[in-house]
Amino acid sequence: MSWGSFVRSADEMLTLILALVTGALGGRFDARETWQQLYLVGVRSLPIVIVTAIFAGGISAIQVSAHVVRFQAYDAVGWGFGFVVFRELGPLLIGLMFSGRVGAFNAAELGTMKVTEQLDALRVLAINPLNYLVGPRIVAMVVMMTALVMVGNVFALLGGMLTAQVLVDVDPMVFWISLTDYVRPVDLFNGLVKAGLFGFVIGLVSCRHGLAVDGGAPGVGRAVNQAVVASALGIFCFDYLVTAILP
Amino acid sequence: MSAQTRVFLGNMAFVIKKMMGRKKTDRASRLRFWSALNDVGINSVFFIVITLGFVGTIMMLHGGYQAARIIGDSNLVGPQILPLMIRQLGPTLAGLMVATRVGTGMAARIGSMVVTEQVDALRLSNACPVNYLITPSWHAALVMVPILSIFGITAAFFSGMLTAYVVFETAPGVYADWSFVSGLDAVEALIKSISFGAVIPLIAGTCGLSTHGGSAGVGRATTNAVVLSSLAVIILDFFIGALILGLR
Repeated sequence: MSWGSFVRSADEMLTLILALVTGALGGRFDARETWQQLYLVGVRSLPIVIVTAIFAGGISAIQVSAHVVRFQAYDAVGWGFGFVVFRELGPLLIGLMFSGRVGAFNAAELGTMKVTEQLDALRVLAINPLNYLVGPRIVAMVVMMTALVMVGNVFALLGGMLTAQVLVDVDPMVFWISLTDYVRPVDLFNGLVKAGLFGFVIGLVSCRHGLAVDGGAPGVGRAVNQAVVASALGIFCFDYLVTAILP
Repeated sequence: MSAQTRVFLGNMAFVIKKMMGRKKTDRASRLRFWSALNDVGINSVFFIVITLGFVGTIMMLHGGYQAARIIGDSNLVGPQILPLMIRQLGPTLAGLMVATRVGTGMAARIGSMVVTEQVDALRLSNACPVNYLITPSWHAALVMVPILSIFGITAAFFSGMLTAYVVFETAPGVYADWSFVSGLDAVEALIKSISFGAVIPLIAGTCGLSTHGGSAGVGRATTNAVVLSSLAVIILDFFIGALILGLR
Protein backbone atom coordinates (compact mmCIF):
# COMPACT_ATOMS: atom_id res chain seq x y z
CA MET A 1 0.00 0.00 0.00
CA SER A 2 1.50 3.31 -1.08
CA TRP A 3 1.31 6.56 0.86
CA GLY A 4 -1.10 8.08 -1.65
CA SER A 5 -3.65 5.30 -1.19
CA PHE A 6 -3.13 5.38 2.57
CA VAL A 7 -3.93 9.08 2.75
CA ARG A 8 -6.92 8.66 0.45
CA SER A 9 -8.28 5.81 2.52
CA ALA A 10 -7.82 7.74 5.77
CA ASP A 11 -9.56 10.70 4.17
CA GLU A 12 -12.52 8.57 3.07
CA MET A 13 -12.88 7.01 6.51
CA LEU A 14 -12.85 10.46 8.11
CA THR A 15 -15.62 11.47 5.71
CA LEU A 16 -17.63 8.44 6.82
CA ILE A 17 -17.10 9.22 10.52
CA LEU A 18 -18.12 12.82 9.86
CA ALA A 19 -21.26 11.64 8.07
CA LEU A 20 -22.02 9.34 10.99
CA VAL A 21 -21.61 12.12 13.56
CA THR A 22 -23.53 14.76 11.63
CA GLY A 23 -26.22 12.20 10.85
CA ALA A 24 -26.54 11.37 14.55
CA LEU A 25 -26.56 15.02 15.61
CA GLY A 26 -29.05 16.07 12.95
CA GLY A 27 -31.33 13.13 13.75
CA ARG A 28 -31.01 11.86 10.19
CA PHE A 29 -30.95 8.21 11.16
CA ASP A 30 -33.41 6.13 9.25
CA ALA A 31 -35.02 4.13 12.06
CA ARG A 32 -36.42 1.40 9.82
CA GLU A 33 -33.10 0.86 8.08
CA THR A 34 -31.32 0.70 11.46
CA TRP A 35 -33.72 -1.93 12.81
CA GLN A 36 -33.42 -3.92 9.64
CA GLN A 37 -29.61 -3.81 9.78
CA LEU A 38 -29.62 -4.86 13.45
CA TYR A 39 -31.82 -7.81 12.59
CA LEU A 40 -29.84 -8.81 9.49
CA VAL A 41 -26.43 -8.50 11.17
CA GLY A 42 -27.53 -10.43 14.23
CA VAL A 43 -29.37 -13.19 12.42
CA ARG A 44 -26.75 -13.58 9.74
CA SER A 45 -23.89 -14.12 12.17
CA LEU A 46 -25.47 -15.85 15.17
CA PRO A 47 -24.90 -19.48 14.02
CA ILE A 48 -21.30 -18.86 12.95
CA VAL A 49 -20.57 -17.02 16.21
CA ILE A 50 -21.97 -19.88 18.28
CA VAL A 51 -19.89 -22.49 16.44
CA THR A 52 -16.76 -20.31 16.67
CA ALA A 53 -17.33 -19.68 20.37
CA ILE A 54 -17.75 -23.36 21.20
CA PHE A 55 -14.54 -24.26 19.39
CA ALA A 56 -12.67 -21.24 20.77
CA GLY A 57 -13.68 -22.39 24.25
CA GLY A 58 -12.48 -25.88 23.45
CA ILE A 59 -9.14 -24.65 22.06
CA SER A 60 -8.50 -22.47 25.09
CA ALA A 61 -9.36 -25.28 27.48
CA ILE A 62 -6.94 -27.58 25.64
CA GLN A 63 -4.09 -25.09 25.71
CA VAL A 64 -4.66 -24.13 29.34
CA SER A 65 -4.91 -27.81 30.26
CA ALA A 66 -1.52 -28.53 28.69
CA HIS A 67 0.01 -26.08 31.19
CA VAL A 68 -2.12 -27.35 34.05
CA VAL A 69 -1.24 -30.99 33.51
CA ARG A 70 2.45 -30.10 33.71
CA PHE A 71 2.08 -28.34 37.09
CA GLN A 72 -0.74 -30.56 38.42
CA ALA A 73 -2.69 -27.36 39.16
CA TYR A 74 -6.16 -28.55 38.28
CA ASP A 75 -7.93 -25.79 40.16
CA ALA A 76 -6.32 -23.15 37.93
CA VAL A 77 -8.04 -24.33 34.74
CA GLY A 78 -11.07 -22.10 35.23
CA TRP A 79 -8.97 -19.04 35.97
CA GLY A 80 -6.69 -19.44 32.96
CA PHE A 81 -9.60 -20.29 30.74
CA GLY A 82 -11.89 -17.49 31.84
CA PHE A 83 -9.19 -14.90 31.54
CA VAL A 84 -8.00 -15.99 28.10
CA VAL A 85 -11.46 -16.44 26.62
CA PHE A 86 -13.41 -13.52 28.08
CA ARG A 87 -10.69 -11.00 27.65
CA GLU A 88 -8.76 -12.03 24.58
CA LEU A 89 -9.54 -15.03 22.45
CA GLY A 90 -13.34 -14.74 22.54
CA PRO A 91 -13.58 -11.18 21.20
CA LEU A 92 -10.63 -11.76 18.84
CA LEU A 93 -11.85 -14.94 17.14
CA ILE A 94 -15.50 -13.82 17.12
CA GLY A 95 -14.33 -10.47 15.71
CA LEU A 96 -12.39 -12.14 12.91
CA MET A 97 -15.35 -14.37 12.02
CA PHE A 98 -17.72 -11.39 12.25
CA SER A 99 -15.44 -9.49 9.90
CA GLY A 100 -15.63 -12.39 7.45
CA ARG A 101 -19.37 -12.90 7.73
CA VAL A 102 -20.78 -9.40 8.19
CA GLY A 103 -17.93 -7.10 7.14
CA ALA A 104 -17.24 -8.93 3.89
CA PHE A 105 -20.95 -9.20 3.13
CA ASN A 106 -21.37 -5.49 3.80
CA ALA A 107 -18.49 -4.52 1.51
CA ALA A 108 -19.87 -6.79 -1.20
CA GLU A 109 -23.39 -5.41 -0.82
CA LEU A 110 -22.34 -1.76 -0.93
CA GLY A 111 -19.91 -2.53 -3.77
CA THR A 112 -22.67 -4.18 -5.79
CA MET A 113 -24.95 -1.23 -5.11
CA LYS A 114 -22.22 1.07 -6.38
CA VAL A 115 -21.42 -0.83 -9.60
CA THR A 116 -25.13 -1.26 -10.40
CA GLU A 117 -25.59 2.51 -9.86
CA GLN A 118 -28.05 2.11 -6.98
CA LEU A 119 -26.13 4.75 -5.02
CA ASP A 120 -26.70 7.22 -7.83
CA ALA A 121 -30.38 6.28 -7.76
CA LEU A 122 -30.48 7.17 -4.05
CA ARG A 123 -28.88 10.54 -4.80
CA VAL A 124 -31.49 11.16 -7.51
CA LEU A 125 -34.15 10.59 -4.86
CA ALA A 126 -32.42 13.25 -2.72
CA ILE A 127 -31.33 10.66 -0.14
CA ASN A 128 -27.76 11.03 1.09
CA PRO A 129 -26.27 7.52 0.70
CA LEU A 130 -23.77 8.16 3.49
CA ASN A 131 -26.49 8.97 6.01
CA TYR A 132 -28.92 6.37 4.76
CA LEU A 133 -26.56 3.41 4.31
CA VAL A 134 -23.44 3.91 6.40
CA GLY A 135 -24.82 5.17 9.73
CA PRO A 136 -27.29 2.33 10.40
CA ARG A 137 -24.73 -0.26 9.35
CA ILE A 138 -21.98 0.93 11.67
CA VAL A 139 -24.42 1.32 14.57
CA ALA A 140 -25.80 -2.17 13.92
CA MET A 141 -22.33 -3.68 13.86
CA VAL A 142 -21.21 -2.03 17.11
CA VAL A 143 -24.39 -3.08 18.94
CA MET A 144 -24.54 -6.58 17.51
CA MET A 145 -20.84 -7.36 17.92
CA THR A 146 -21.12 -6.53 21.64
CA ALA A 147 -24.27 -8.62 21.99
CA LEU A 148 -22.77 -11.52 20.03
CA VAL A 149 -19.66 -11.59 22.21
CA MET A 150 -21.93 -11.82 25.26
CA VAL A 151 -23.73 -14.78 23.70
CA GLY A 152 -20.39 -16.19 22.52
CA ASN A 153 -18.94 -16.06 26.06
CA VAL A 154 -21.72 -18.34 27.30
CA PHE A 155 -21.15 -20.86 24.53
CA ALA A 156 -17.36 -20.68 24.89
CA LEU A 157 -17.80 -21.45 28.59
CA LEU A 158 -19.90 -24.50 27.72
CA GLY A 159 -17.37 -25.67 25.13
CA GLY A 160 -14.47 -25.14 27.54
CA MET A 161 -16.13 -26.97 30.44
CA LEU A 162 -17.05 -29.90 28.22
CA THR A 163 -13.51 -30.13 26.76
CA ALA A 164 -11.85 -29.90 30.19
CA GLN A 165 -14.18 -32.58 31.53
CA VAL A 166 -13.61 -34.96 28.62
CA LEU A 167 -9.88 -34.47 27.97
CA VAL A 168 -8.27 -33.76 31.36
CA ASP A 169 -11.08 -34.87 33.67
CA VAL A 170 -11.64 -31.55 35.41
CA ASP A 171 -15.01 -31.50 37.15
CA PRO A 172 -17.25 -28.66 35.81
CA MET A 173 -17.88 -27.53 39.39
CA VAL A 174 -14.12 -27.17 40.09
CA PHE A 175 -13.81 -25.32 36.79
CA TRP A 176 -16.66 -22.97 37.69
CA ILE A 177 -15.36 -22.22 41.20
CA SER A 178 -11.85 -21.37 40.03
CA LEU A 179 -13.37 -19.23 37.28
CA THR A 180 -15.60 -17.24 39.62
CA ASP A 181 -12.85 -16.91 42.25
CA TYR A 182 -10.24 -15.33 40.03
CA VAL A 183 -11.94 -13.80 37.00
CA ARG A 184 -13.22 -10.31 37.79
CA PRO A 185 -16.20 -8.55 36.21
CA VAL A 186 -13.73 -6.04 34.79
CA ASP A 187 -12.27 -8.84 32.61
CA LEU A 188 -15.68 -9.46 31.08
CA PHE A 189 -16.22 -5.72 30.66
CA ASN A 190 -12.82 -5.36 28.99
CA GLY A 191 -13.77 -8.02 26.44
CA LEU A 192 -17.02 -6.22 25.68
CA VAL A 193 -15.22 -2.90 25.16
CA LYS A 194 -12.97 -4.68 22.66
CA ALA A 195 -16.01 -6.19 20.96
CA GLY A 196 -17.67 -2.82 20.50
CA LEU A 197 -14.49 -1.28 19.09
CA PHE A 198 -13.98 -4.24 16.74
CA GLY A 199 -17.56 -3.77 15.53
CA PHE A 200 -16.86 -0.11 14.83
CA VAL A 201 -13.62 -0.87 12.95
CA ILE A 202 -15.27 -3.60 10.89
CA GLY A 203 -18.22 -1.37 10.04
CA LEU A 204 -16.09 1.62 9.09
CA VAL A 205 -13.57 -0.33 7.03
CA SER A 206 -16.12 -2.47 5.20
CA CYS A 207 -18.30 0.56 4.34
CA ARG A 208 -15.26 2.47 3.10
CA HIS A 209 -14.07 -0.37 0.85
CA GLY A 210 -17.59 -1.12 -0.35
CA LEU A 211 -18.22 2.50 -1.36
CA ALA A 212 -14.81 2.76 -3.08
CA VAL A 213 -15.48 -0.08 -5.54
CA ASP A 214 -15.04 0.50 -9.21
CA GLY A 215 -14.71 -1.86 -12.14
CA GLY A 216 -17.60 -4.31 -12.05
CA ALA A 217 -17.50 -7.82 -10.59
CA PRO A 218 -13.69 -8.06 -10.27
CA GLY A 219 -13.74 -4.75 -8.40
CA VAL A 220 -16.27 -6.13 -5.92
CA GLY A 221 -14.09 -9.16 -5.23
CA ARG A 222 -11.02 -6.98 -4.74
CA ALA A 223 -12.89 -4.67 -2.39
CA VAL A 224 -14.04 -7.57 -0.21
CA ASN A 225 -10.48 -8.88 -0.05
CA GLN A 226 -9.11 -5.48 0.96
CA ALA A 227 -11.93 -4.97 3.47
CA VAL A 228 -11.23 -8.18 5.40
CA VAL A 229 -7.46 -7.61 5.36
CA ALA A 230 -7.80 -4.03 6.62
CA SER A 231 -10.38 -5.09 9.22
CA ALA A 232 -8.02 -7.76 10.55
CA LEU A 233 -5.22 -5.20 10.88
CA GLY A 234 -7.60 -2.81 12.63
CA ILE A 235 -8.80 -5.54 14.99
CA PHE A 236 -5.28 -6.45 16.11
CA CYS A 237 -4.33 -2.79 16.44
CA PHE A 238 -7.32 -1.94 18.67
CA ASP A 239 -6.81 -5.16 20.60
CA TYR A 240 -3.33 -3.95 21.46
CA LEU A 241 -4.51 -0.45 22.36
CA VAL A 242 -7.28 -1.68 24.67
CA THR A 243 -4.93 -4.18 26.33
CA ALA A 244 -2.31 -1.50 26.89
CA ILE A 245 -4.70 1.20 28.12
CA LEU A 246 -7.08 -0.87 30.29
CA PRO A 247 -4.94 -3.35 32.21
CA MET B 1 -28.61 -30.67 4.01
CA SER B 2 -29.66 -27.87 1.72
CA ALA B 3 -29.23 -28.01 -2.03
CA GLN B 4 -26.57 -25.30 -1.78
CA THR B 5 -24.46 -27.38 0.63
CA ARG B 6 -24.79 -30.43 -1.62
CA VAL B 7 -23.62 -28.45 -4.64
CA PHE B 8 -20.70 -27.05 -2.66
CA LEU B 9 -19.60 -30.48 -1.39
CA GLY B 10 -19.95 -31.91 -4.90
CA ASN B 11 -17.78 -29.13 -6.28
CA MET B 12 -15.21 -29.72 -3.57
CA ALA B 13 -15.08 -33.44 -4.35
CA PHE B 14 -14.58 -32.53 -8.01
CA VAL B 15 -11.74 -30.14 -7.13
CA ILE B 16 -10.03 -32.77 -4.95
CA LYS B 17 -10.37 -35.41 -7.67
CA LYS B 18 -8.87 -33.08 -10.26
CA MET B 19 -6.03 -32.07 -7.95
CA MET B 20 -5.15 -35.68 -7.16
CA GLY B 21 -5.18 -36.73 -10.81
CA ARG B 22 -1.99 -36.96 -12.88
CA LYS B 23 -0.98 -33.76 -14.54
CA LYS B 24 1.94 -32.83 -16.68
CA THR B 25 4.46 -30.32 -15.36
CA ASP B 26 5.83 -28.01 -17.99
CA ARG B 27 7.44 -24.62 -17.91
CA ALA B 28 4.09 -22.79 -17.77
CA SER B 29 2.84 -24.76 -14.77
CA ARG B 30 6.13 -24.21 -12.95
CA LEU B 31 5.79 -20.48 -13.61
CA ARG B 32 2.27 -20.52 -12.20
CA PHE B 33 3.59 -22.28 -9.10
CA TRP B 34 6.30 -19.65 -8.62
CA SER B 35 3.84 -16.81 -9.00
CA ALA B 36 1.52 -18.52 -6.49
CA LEU B 37 4.46 -18.85 -4.08
CA ASN B 38 4.98 -15.14 -4.44
CA ASP B 39 1.30 -14.36 -3.92
CA VAL B 40 0.74 -16.69 -0.93
CA GLY B 41 4.12 -16.22 0.68
CA ILE B 42 6.03 -13.06 -0.07
CA ASN B 43 2.97 -10.82 -0.29
CA SER B 44 1.62 -12.11 3.05
CA VAL B 45 4.83 -11.79 5.07
CA PHE B 46 4.31 -8.14 5.96
CA PHE B 47 0.68 -8.66 7.00
CA ILE B 48 1.50 -11.70 9.14
CA VAL B 49 4.51 -10.10 10.81
CA ILE B 50 2.44 -7.03 11.75
CA THR B 51 -0.55 -8.97 13.11
CA LEU B 52 1.50 -11.57 15.00
CA GLY B 53 3.73 -8.80 16.32
CA PHE B 54 0.65 -7.27 17.94
CA VAL B 55 -0.28 -10.70 19.30
CA GLY B 56 3.10 -11.14 21.01
CA THR B 57 2.77 -7.77 22.71
CA ILE B 58 -0.83 -8.44 23.75
CA MET B 59 0.05 -11.84 25.24
CA MET B 60 2.96 -10.42 27.19
CA LEU B 61 0.83 -7.55 28.54
CA HIS B 62 -1.95 -9.92 29.65
CA GLY B 63 0.45 -12.44 31.13
CA GLY B 64 2.53 -9.80 32.88
CA TYR B 65 -0.43 -7.97 34.48
CA GLN B 66 -2.01 -11.23 35.62
CA ALA B 67 1.23 -12.61 37.03
CA ALA B 68 1.93 -9.32 38.83
CA ARG B 69 -1.59 -9.39 40.31
CA ILE B 70 -1.73 -13.02 41.42
CA ILE B 71 1.87 -14.18 41.91
CA GLY B 72 3.55 -10.81 42.26
CA ASP B 73 6.36 -11.57 39.84
CA SER B 74 6.12 -11.08 36.08
CA ASN B 75 9.52 -12.66 35.33
CA LEU B 76 7.95 -16.11 35.00
CA VAL B 77 5.67 -15.08 32.16
CA GLY B 78 8.12 -15.38 29.25
CA PRO B 79 8.84 -19.10 29.65
CA GLN B 80 5.10 -19.76 30.03
CA ILE B 81 3.94 -17.97 26.91
CA LEU B 82 6.69 -19.20 24.57
CA PRO B 83 5.21 -22.72 24.18
CA LEU B 84 1.75 -21.16 23.73
CA MET B 85 3.07 -18.92 20.95
CA ILE B 86 4.74 -21.83 19.20
CA ARG B 87 2.06 -24.49 19.34
CA GLN B 88 -1.10 -22.40 19.40
CA LEU B 89 -1.22 -18.73 18.57
CA GLY B 90 1.53 -18.63 15.94
CA PRO B 91 0.16 -21.29 13.58
CA THR B 92 -3.53 -20.57 14.20
CA LEU B 93 -3.43 -16.82 13.76
CA ALA B 94 -1.06 -17.17 10.78
CA GLY B 95 -3.58 -19.64 9.34
CA LEU B 96 -6.47 -17.25 9.96
CA MET B 97 -4.54 -14.41 8.35
CA VAL B 98 -3.73 -16.56 5.30
CA ALA B 99 -7.42 -17.48 5.10
CA THR B 100 -8.27 -13.79 5.27
CA ARG B 101 -5.73 -12.53 2.76
CA VAL B 102 -5.06 -15.41 0.38
CA GLY B 103 -8.41 -17.19 0.69
CA THR B 104 -10.49 -14.13 -0.16
CA GLY B 105 -8.01 -13.14 -2.86
CA MET B 106 -8.32 -16.54 -4.56
CA ALA B 107 -12.11 -16.58 -4.32
CA ALA B 108 -12.36 -13.03 -5.64
CA ARG B 109 -10.02 -13.71 -8.56
CA ILE B 110 -11.53 -17.06 -9.56
CA GLY B 111 -15.08 -15.81 -8.94
CA SER B 112 -14.65 -12.83 -11.20
CA MET B 113 -13.11 -15.11 -13.84
CA VAL B 114 -16.22 -17.30 -13.61
CA VAL B 115 -18.71 -14.44 -14.05
CA THR B 116 -16.71 -12.88 -16.89
CA GLU B 117 -16.65 -16.33 -18.58
CA GLN B 118 -12.86 -16.59 -18.52
CA VAL B 119 -13.17 -20.00 -16.87
CA ASP B 120 -15.32 -21.17 -19.79
CA ALA B 121 -12.61 -19.87 -22.10
CA LEU B 122 -10.09 -22.02 -20.19
CA ARG B 123 -12.32 -25.08 -20.63
CA LEU B 124 -12.65 -24.29 -24.35
CA SER B 125 -8.86 -24.26 -24.66
CA ASN B 126 -8.79 -27.70 -23.03
CA ALA B 127 -7.12 -26.34 -19.88
CA CYS B 128 -8.53 -27.72 -16.64
CA PRO B 129 -9.64 -24.73 -14.52
CA VAL B 130 -8.81 -26.60 -11.30
CA ASN B 131 -5.26 -27.41 -12.35
CA TYR B 132 -4.80 -23.98 -13.84
CA LEU B 133 -6.21 -21.88 -10.99
CA ILE B 134 -6.27 -23.86 -7.75
CA THR B 135 -3.48 -26.45 -7.80
CA PRO B 136 -0.58 -23.94 -7.92
CA SER B 137 -1.97 -22.06 -4.91
CA TRP B 138 -2.55 -25.34 -3.11
CA HIS B 139 1.06 -26.43 -3.53
CA ALA B 140 2.26 -22.94 -2.64
CA ALA B 141 0.19 -22.84 0.55
CA LEU B 142 1.46 -26.26 1.66
CA VAL B 143 5.00 -24.89 1.44
CA MET B 144 4.36 -21.35 2.57
CA VAL B 145 1.95 -21.55 5.53
CA PRO B 146 4.54 -23.34 7.74
CA ILE B 147 7.16 -20.79 6.70
CA LEU B 148 4.77 -17.92 7.39
CA SER B 149 3.99 -19.44 10.78
CA ILE B 150 7.70 -19.40 11.58
CA PHE B 151 7.87 -15.74 10.58
CA GLY B 152 4.81 -15.01 12.69
CA ILE B 153 6.17 -16.85 15.74
CA THR B 154 9.46 -14.99 15.40
CA ALA B 155 7.66 -11.64 15.20
CA ALA B 156 5.53 -12.50 18.25
CA PHE B 157 8.64 -13.65 20.13
CA PHE B 158 10.54 -10.42 19.55
CA SER B 159 7.60 -8.08 20.18
CA GLY B 160 6.89 -9.98 23.40
CA MET B 161 10.52 -9.62 24.39
CA LEU B 162 10.42 -5.89 23.72
CA THR B 163 7.21 -5.50 25.75
CA ALA B 164 8.65 -7.53 28.61
CA TYR B 165 11.70 -5.30 28.65
CA VAL B 166 9.92 -1.95 28.27
CA VAL B 167 6.81 -2.50 30.40
CA PHE B 168 7.85 -5.10 32.99
CA GLU B 169 11.64 -4.58 32.98
CA THR B 170 12.27 -8.26 32.39
CA ALA B 171 15.74 -8.89 30.98
CA PRO B 172 15.65 -10.47 27.49
CA GLY B 173 17.67 -13.41 28.85
CA VAL B 174 15.02 -14.11 31.50
CA TYR B 175 12.20 -13.78 28.96
CA ALA B 176 13.80 -16.08 26.39
CA ASP B 177 13.88 -19.16 28.59
CA TRP B 178 13.17 -22.17 26.38
CA SER B 179 13.03 -24.77 29.15
CA PHE B 180 9.27 -25.31 28.80
CA VAL B 181 9.33 -25.69 25.02
CA SER B 182 9.38 -29.32 23.96
CA GLY B 183 9.82 -30.97 20.59
CA LEU B 184 6.13 -31.87 20.69
CA ASP B 185 5.25 -28.16 20.54
CA ALA B 186 7.18 -27.78 17.29
CA VAL B 187 5.54 -30.93 15.91
CA GLU B 188 2.10 -29.56 16.82
CA ALA B 189 2.88 -26.26 15.09
CA LEU B 190 4.08 -28.05 11.96
CA ILE B 191 1.07 -30.38 11.75
CA LYS B 192 -1.31 -27.47 12.29
CA SER B 193 0.25 -25.17 9.71
CA ILE B 194 0.52 -27.87 7.04
CA SER B 195 -3.12 -28.85 7.47
CA PHE B 196 -4.21 -25.20 7.38
CA GLY B 197 -2.20 -24.78 4.18
CA ALA B 198 -3.98 -27.80 2.72
CA VAL B 199 -7.57 -26.75 3.47
CA ILE B 200 -7.53 -22.98 2.86
CA PRO B 201 -6.88 -22.98 -0.93
CA LEU B 202 -9.18 -25.98 -1.34
CA ILE B 203 -12.14 -24.24 0.32
CA ALA B 204 -11.41 -20.81 -1.16
CA GLY B 205 -10.91 -22.25 -4.67
CA THR B 206 -14.13 -24.23 -4.46
CA CYS B 207 -16.01 -21.12 -3.34
CA GLY B 208 -14.54 -19.24 -6.28
CA LEU B 209 -15.48 -21.90 -8.83
CA SER B 210 -19.02 -22.17 -7.39
CA THR B 211 -19.68 -18.47 -8.10
CA HIS B 212 -22.78 -17.54 -10.06
CA GLY B 213 -24.70 -14.33 -10.68
CA GLY B 214 -22.64 -11.24 -11.46
CA SER B 215 -20.97 -8.92 -8.99
CA ALA B 216 -23.36 -9.89 -6.14
CA GLY B 217 -22.30 -13.49 -6.75
CA VAL B 218 -18.59 -12.60 -6.55
CA GLY B 219 -19.23 -10.83 -3.24
CA ARG B 220 -21.10 -13.87 -1.92
CA ALA B 221 -18.36 -16.27 -3.00
CA THR B 222 -15.64 -14.16 -1.37
CA THR B 223 -17.63 -13.90 1.87
CA ASN B 224 -18.18 -17.66 1.91
CA ALA B 225 -14.49 -18.27 1.26
CA VAL B 226 -13.29 -16.27 4.26
CA VAL B 227 -15.98 -17.60 6.61
CA LEU B 228 -15.62 -21.27 5.67
CA SER B 229 -11.83 -21.33 5.56
CA SER B 230 -11.50 -19.47 8.90
CA LEU B 231 -13.99 -21.87 10.44
CA ALA B 232 -12.03 -24.82 9.04
CA VAL B 233 -8.84 -23.41 10.61
CA ILE B 234 -10.52 -23.08 14.03
CA ILE B 235 -12.09 -26.56 13.90
CA LEU B 236 -8.87 -28.25 12.72
CA ASP B 237 -6.98 -26.39 15.45
CA PHE B 238 -9.34 -27.83 18.07
CA PHE B 239 -9.01 -31.42 16.88
CA ILE B 240 -5.23 -31.37 16.33
CA GLY B 241 -4.78 -29.71 19.74
CA ALA B 242 -6.94 -32.37 21.42
CA LEU B 243 -4.99 -35.14 19.66
CA ILE B 244 -1.61 -33.78 20.76
CA LEU B 245 -2.87 -33.18 24.31
CA GLY B 246 -3.72 -36.88 24.41
CA LEU B 247 -0.09 -37.69 23.48
CA ARG B 248 1.40 -35.62 26.30
